Amino acid sequence: MDQPLAPHTLFHDMGISRRRFLAGGTLAGISAFLAACQATTTPTLSPTASATPSAGASPTPVPRATPSAELNWANWCCYMDVDPNDPTRWKTLEDFQAAYGTKVNYQEAVDANDTFFGTIKDPLNAGLDTGWDIIVLTDWMAARLIRLGWVEEFDLANMPNFVANVRDPYKGLEWDPEMKRHAPWQSGITGIGYDPSVTGPISSLRAFLTVDPRWKGRTEYLTEMRDAVGLTMLALGLDPTKPTRDGCDQAVAAMLKARADGIVRDVKGNAYTEDLKLGDAVLVMAWSGDIVQLKLEKPSLEFVIADEGAMFWTDNCLIPKGAAHKGTAELMIDWVYVPEHAAQIEAGISYVTPVEGVQEIFQQTAPELATDPLRFPPADQAGRLKQFGILSEDDAAYFDEQFAKVIGVG
Amino acid sequence: MGRRTRRRRWFVPYALLAPGVLWLLVFYAYPAAQVLVASFWTGSVERGFSFSLENWSNYPDAIGPVLPHFGRSIVYAFAATVLTFLIAYPLAYTMAVRAGRFKNLLLFLVVAPFFTSFLLRTISWKIILGDHSVVLGPLKDLGIVAEDFRVLATAMAVVAGITYNFLPFMTLPIYVSLEKIDLRLIEAARDLYAGPWRPGGAIAGALVGAGLFGLLAAIFGWSILPPAVGGALAFGFIGWRFVSQSFIRVTLPLSLPGVFAGTLLTFIPAIGDYVNAEFLGSADTRMIGNVIQNRFLVQNDYPAASALSFILMAGVLVVVAVYSRALGTTSLSTGRTI
Repeated sequence: MDQPLAPHTLFHDMGISRRRFLAGGTLAGISAFLAACQATTTPTLSPTASATPSAGASPTPVPRATPSAELNWANWCCYMDVDPNDPTRWKTLEDFQAAYGTKVNYQEAVDANDTFFGTIKDPLNAGLDTGWDIIVLTDWMAARLIRLGWVEEFDLANMPNFVANVRDPYKGLEWDPEMKRHAPWQSGITGIGYDPSVTGPISSLRAFLTVDPRWKGRTEYLTEMRDAVGLTMLALGLDPTKPTRDGCDQAVAAMLKARADGIVRDVKGNAYTEDLKLGDAVLVMAWSGDIVQLKLEKPSLEFVIADEGAMFWTDNCLIPKGAAHKGTAELMIDWVYVPEHAAQIEAGISYVTPVEGVQEIFQQTAPELATDPLRFPPADQAGRLKQFGILSEDDAAYFDEQFAKVIGVG
Repeated sequence: MGRRTRRRRWFVPYALLAPGVLWLLVFYAYPAAQVLVASFWTGSVERGFSFSLENWSNYPDAIGPVLPHFGRSIVYAFAATVLTFLIAYPLAYTMAVRAGRFKNLLLFLVVAPFFTSFLLRTISWKIILGDHSVVLGPLKDLGIVAEDFRVLATAMAVVAGITYNFLPFMTLPIYVSLEKIDLRLIEAARDLYAGPWRPGGAIAGALVGAGLFGLLAAIFGWSILPPAVGGALAFGFIGWRFVSQSFIRVTLPLSLPGVFAGTLLTFIPAIGDYVNAEFLGSADTRMIGNVIQNRFLVQNDYPAASALSFILMAGVLVVVAVYSRALGTTSLSTGRTI
């Protein structure tokens, strides 16, 4: 494959953004997985002269690993900045290739945490290489993989920028307290996406549970359990950072009642963006980045962090056990933790960066981005962003089973 | 010489069967056996799974909460099969008997939409049938349908989607069996005074129409009477105007092998379909395929998913066996029914 880059624009034009695109995505994931399994040998290359990333005021530390000829990276859709001169290429990856000579085989192979987990669990369980060097998974799934012992420990000597620039709120999580096995990629917010021209202003999550002719039958919930249950718990005044079975039962009962009342049109994954665009849905549980992109096509749409709060999640880079190009993966992760590089990525996508210093760069180069509340949630809002608590395996199974009733498959 | 020929003959049937048998072993029997084994597992992804025959209770445990989904799948697949038959039969008849030089063009047109992906075709329906689409938008503006009326996210959309997606699987077998009919048989029937079928056609048509549209209305949750009356009138007229005795006594019986093949090719995949229910339906219209997908890929509950898959397979097998028994494949292939 001459071009290491995935056809980003196709999905973009179809309005299918970051999260799952169920059936097609699964197939793409499997084929990407198979393709990646045919990884070739790895001749050693020396870093070129341009290997030293150009930094602003302070000199950027240079990591020490020797890069391999290729790197296999599985990420979610629409999660990388596109080359402005060639929309089929990713700018950041081209820069990395120019610096280290490594061809990055970047695939948008992750369409859902569970489905992607299904594609890698057998090789990991058997102690084999999955074919991927970097995979990007949401906190709870990252925690599960780490718990299973299926994630490589970083050699932090290769990652000086990561060590220096990861923002404080991301540190000290209970499932990886020393941050040796995961590096946050992007964070995002799940809140209210709606069309105020139809619904009027909405600021409370109670709207999802309230019969109102303006959005009755035109409301959609997310199929992502932690988002839907989390937001409903917030609406009910419960705390999703400490989820309990009782809280889950209450949330599920409230959502089932809303369905019975005819409020809910459907429970969907990424496909809600289509319905919002067509006007079939006017009030949805939405991912912030999606609405930012949808607004370009339908300016009347709005995203709001409700009075009760919103869900906050992080997708993380992990190096799966037995990865063939671990050192290069560390170089790649370190590369995106250089603030200038992170700023380039962040200008292209609309999520919350875990890298310190990006906002300062935007203040110089793109002030409108520096004040974007969805990229840099203001301090007064940050307190209202809740991260769904990590569930034990049994509790997760219970929550999934209960939530299946809401999706209509329980 | 003779012995050598015989020896070769002994070998030939097995050689001819080998590719098919190998295919079935690798891509059907082996995975099916794996699924069967998995249906007797207990455990979880993190703890690992263990096999024991005592876990037969996976079956009742798995099916208990999702009986409505099984029922819904059967009803939707049945409704879609009947609808594809009603659409496909006149279409196939026209192509086979009346199309003349347009026959190949029509055949191409039946198949042409299927050069695009199943998924894209289904998703395109969302744009055509959206609440404010080119179809519903004007109807709402004119006040013909209520403002909150919708087609998408209803049972009707799911059944219509399945019907559309499986239409060629019904049309082509019926076309083949109709095309094979020796037209001299129909001439012979006419010579033997097989003329228009009145009032039999009208009565039969009215009964079929009333029953069918009444049933569909019940499935979609509409009031039953208006559709039933409309169906009776429409089908009564069709029966009175178009159905002749030679059709009932010659053409229809001779085309039944195609109908049999077409209904199986439609019903079996339709009952396990989940794409239409996923994209065109709603949480209220999910089918057993969606349940199995959720158990396998979201809940990672492989034992329950496997048990449900096996129950579905066994259920389909029973339905097909009863159906074959009722219609009798052997007599069908020789055209000796009715």
